[in-house]
Amino acid sequence: MPPRAPVPVDALQRALAAEHAAVWAYGLAGAFLVGKPAAQLTEAAAAHQTRRDSAERLLTDAGAQPVQAEPGYLTPEPVTDSTSALRLVLTAETDAAAAWRSVIEVGPAEPVLRGTALDALTAAAVQATHWRVVAGSEPATVPFPGAP
Amino acid sequence: MAVGALLVAGPTTVAGCASPPVPEQPDPLERPAQRAESDVAMAQAVANAHPALATAARSVATDRQAHAAALRAELRRVRPSPAPASSSAPPPPPPAPIAAARRSAAQGELVGAMRAAQDEATGLVGALPGYRAALLASVAACCASHLTVLS
Repeated sequence: MPPRAPVPVDALQRALAAEHAAVWAYGLAGAFLVGKPAAQLTEAAAAHQTRRDSAERLLTDAGAQPVQAEPGYLTPEPVTDSTSALRLVLTAETDAAAAWRSVIEVGPAEPVLRGTALDALTAAAVQATHWRVVAGSEPATVPFPGAP
Repeated sequence: MAVGALLVAGPTTVAGCASPPVPEQPDPLERPAQRAESDVAMAQAVANAHPALATAARSVATDRQAHAAALRAELRRVRPSPAPASSSAPPPPPPAPIAAARRSAAQGELVGAMRAAQDEATGLVGALPGYRAALLASVAACCASHLTVLS
């Protein structure tokens, strides 16, 4: 079936793949974080599940087959403690921000698509900043979240 | 696949695809550029007046300076020559701002500025061409990030 709406299918598939990866990363990181960060981690993981579902819906509505989660992922570095767990979720947020920004850049000026992508980019940037604050890394913000 | 690999396989920037605005109309990036510039001045004044806010305020100033530079670069790209004289010429730059004396008020100024900048950029993302929309989207996301630091 041809796409019903001119959505950027490839960019959305990358955003969906990033959300799958983020959900997985938060699952792994949860084993190494306790206390307040652990509670915040649960909340952040739920946000990624919601955005994963949004991406799947946009793709399905466009007549595309959404990509599946990988059975497993390689982490950039071994995750062995709270510090490396924080770096993992920060990487996941950075990847998600980049993928959603690209949906805006290559996709049409369509309100639902742009709104979904902007919300996702903003949430990833805010969450990344939060984890930098928790990790004590400065600066806690970047000027252009998601920019290549 | 590796978490993080998506950055490597990330999007390419298509800087040349934005269509220029209709001549004689103010470029929609002009106001965000002016706002970024005035935020830099305000944040620097806060940083100088309030040591307790200096780290957060300097960080706002640094990021908003980057926004101003990127927005000005895009404005120049679309309209390289000086704008023709018109009734809608931008006003002269305002005098250097003076930070609020009370720390809570100064913090409120930073929060208000980041909120206004996020709202303005968010409002522009819907209609602009891809490259410009992505630029404003990053500006909005950055300002939202500052709100989490400031709150």
